[in-house]
Amino acid sequence: MKKIIFTIILSFVAIAGINAQNAKLPDNISLKTLDGQTVQSSVIQNDGRPIIVSFWATWCKPCNLELNTIKEVYEEWQEETGVKLVAISIDDARSSNRVKPHAEGKKWPYEIYLDPNQNMKRAMNVGDIPHTFIIDGNGEIVYQHTTFVDGDEEELIEKVKELLENSEK
Amino acid sequence: MKVIYRLAALLLLVVAGFTARAQGIAGGHITGSFQTDLQMSHADSVIGAQDVDEKLLLNARADILYQNGNFSAGLRFEAYQNPLLGFEPKNLYKGQGLANYFLSYSTDKLTVTAGNFYEQFGSGMILRTYEDRYLGLDNSLLGVNVAFRPVNGVTIKALAGKQRYYWNYADGIVRGLDGEVNLNSVVKSMADSKLRLTFGAGFVSKYEGDETIFQPENPEYKLNLPHNVGAGAARLDMSYGNWTLQTEYARKGQDPSADNDYIYREGEALMVSAGYSQSGFSAQVQAKRVDNMSFRSVRSQSGQMLYINYIPAITKQHTYAFLSLYPYATQTTGEMGMQADVIYSIPKGSLFGGKYGTDLSFNCAVITGLDTTQVGGRGTEGYTSKWLSTGDLYYGDFSVEVAKKLNSKLKLTATYAYQVFNPVVEGHAGSLHHNNVLIADLTWKVNKQHRLRFEAEWLGSDSRYTATSADRRAGDWVMGLVEWNIGRHWFVSASDQYAYNDGIGNYYNLSVGYNHQATRVTVGYGKQREGLLCIGGVCRQVPASNGLTFSLTTSF
Repeated sequence: MKKIIFTIILSFVAIAGINAQNAKLPDNISLKTLDGQTVQSSVIQNDGRPIIVSFWATWCKPCNLELNTIKEVYEEWQEETGVKLVAISIDDARSSNRVKPHAEGKKWPYEIYLDPNQNMKRAMNVGDIPHTFIIDGNGEIVYQHTTFVDGDEEELIEKVKELLENSEK
Repeated sequence: MKVIYRLAALLLLVVAGFTARAQGIAGGHITGSFQTDLQMSHADSVIGAQDVDEKLLLNARADILYQNGNFSAGLRFEAYQNPLLGFEPKNLYKGQGLANYFLSYSTDKLTVTAGNFYEQFGSGMILRTYEDRYLGLDNSLLGVNVAFRPVNGVTIKALAGKQRYYWNYADGIVRGLDGEVNLNSVVKSMADSKLRLTFGAGFVSKYEGDETIFQPENPEYKLNLPHNVGAGAARLDMSYGNWTLQTEYARKGQDPSADNDYIYREGEALMVSAGYSQSGFSAQVQAKRVDNMSFRSVRSQSGQMLYINYIPAITKQHTYAFLSLYPYATQTTGEMGMQADVIYSIPKGSLFGGKYGTDLSFNCAVITGLDTTQVGGRGTEGYTSKWLSTGDLYYGDFSVEVAKKLNSKLKLTATYAYQVFNPVVEGHAGSLHHNNVLIADLTWKVNKQHRLRFEAEWLGSDSRYTATSADRRAGDWVMGLVEWNIGRHWFVSASDQYAYNDGIGNYYNLSVGYNHQATRVTVGYGKQREGLLCIGGVCRQVPASNGLTFSLTTSF
């Protein structure tokens, strides 16, 4: 009987081991650059430093608020943590042509990709937007958050800093 | 007995060990999302909400994705017990079960998917399968989809399948082939060129068996329907420094269908978009002409299902309630139009920029019908159209938005818009409606803990409510909204839309929401108009309702 209990516990430990590792940022999903070139999602890299991935659209007010708000502190964030923000637009053919003028007109300093048929959105289980992820230096998803109201950017950078502190330990 | 226990224990250990090894070495992961929406609605003839015999309506879905190295697999469970208001026809949506499943193998050179898949060729003029959960739309293909990338910059796609139709699959078979070349990747001397060039072309064919359609004037004449209908498109995407140009032209063979009343005219569509952008300033112009381009896998289908292609409206997608009260709906059978966008950030420290700078955006659009001449009815060419000559005005709008940070705590966005709307785009005859809309949106970051948002909207319209038109949007409207975000997790919002002049209706709504990481719960009570709703820091499409709504979404 003891053996059985032991085995069951062992199995649970083994299965729990699966969950110890976080899911990774998908690397084989097709995205478009603002120049119209098709690339695979493995281009999303930051030399082993954290990446913030934010799903947005030109018509989404809270998304625009998020990206406008972060713009004000982005330089500071980059200096302190080396973090990079990658903004993935889910605008479809109705408005995907507007993404480049929209981002440049608003002076967004981010790396931007188009996901016009929402392949990346589905691969990352995104429903409503904004939906923001933090990816660690190994490409693992360590945090995600939906919605944005003023002040949420502080939580985001805190999480990035926590991540850096933990990786130094 | 002891032997059995030992065997069972051994088996369990082997299975667990194997699972752990497979997971540990190859890094298999399960992720997913879950969503449920509940509605308890009472009849309200004034706002058009229906009585709900079941007392409680529910839409739910769960998506599970499994990823292990180059392999991935997905399952989606959907339930409509019974479908939320607005999901019509109800009897077709009703049900529950596995709605989507796939297996996929992907390397940097190859992606093969078997099962349900979503794909788009170019801008989608000849093929786009996609889903929109809030509109109840899913035209995914069940079949096989292959994407091959032999060298960097070249993509070839091939697919075949049948389209999802509620809980079944349509009879028509869809096959497609598409190729795209990025010259900057393929031609070495162009790698660092300021000129960025991408070409693409695709072909889609649909097969559908025969059916009996008569010509009304000669009831003994049965139409000789084409079983295979082809559509092709070519596209170009180029940029040079600050300038961009995107264009796509599509043509479709004879495709008599319920949409065009079984005429044999060929279809065509052209989209051109040109833009200039630099940091802080951008301008973009887009033009489109669509002639008989409705393309479905079942010719007799109407409504929103079974489209193979996607021809979107080029008008701006507005999000404020009164700006989207009279939305333009694209006319796949024939329309032409233009739209222009200008965005300018007035620099900080300038006369109009002030301490924080000011963002200006300007947009206008004009959409008309085609200038057509009838040449016959069902079974003939149908009509001819003049290429550059316009028909009736369908829609026009003009909007200016000014966004300004007033100080470290206050941000103001003010919008003015003028719209002309032809009810014919929604299938009703009637005179043009002219609307003026004013909006003020103020956010106030009181402190770290409390954030407030106020929205005031006004719509003045020359449309009037009459028993015959029964348009619930008619008349003049005012709206107020207060949203209060408490800490990092909670929000409360209250809003009211009221018709004060020759209109009917009073839409009041109270919502409370809780948000933690990727989980969100919202409870609402009141009268809700259908449309895009952006409160609590998120945007979603909602159906018309009168009563209690509950929604839960989570991703893991």
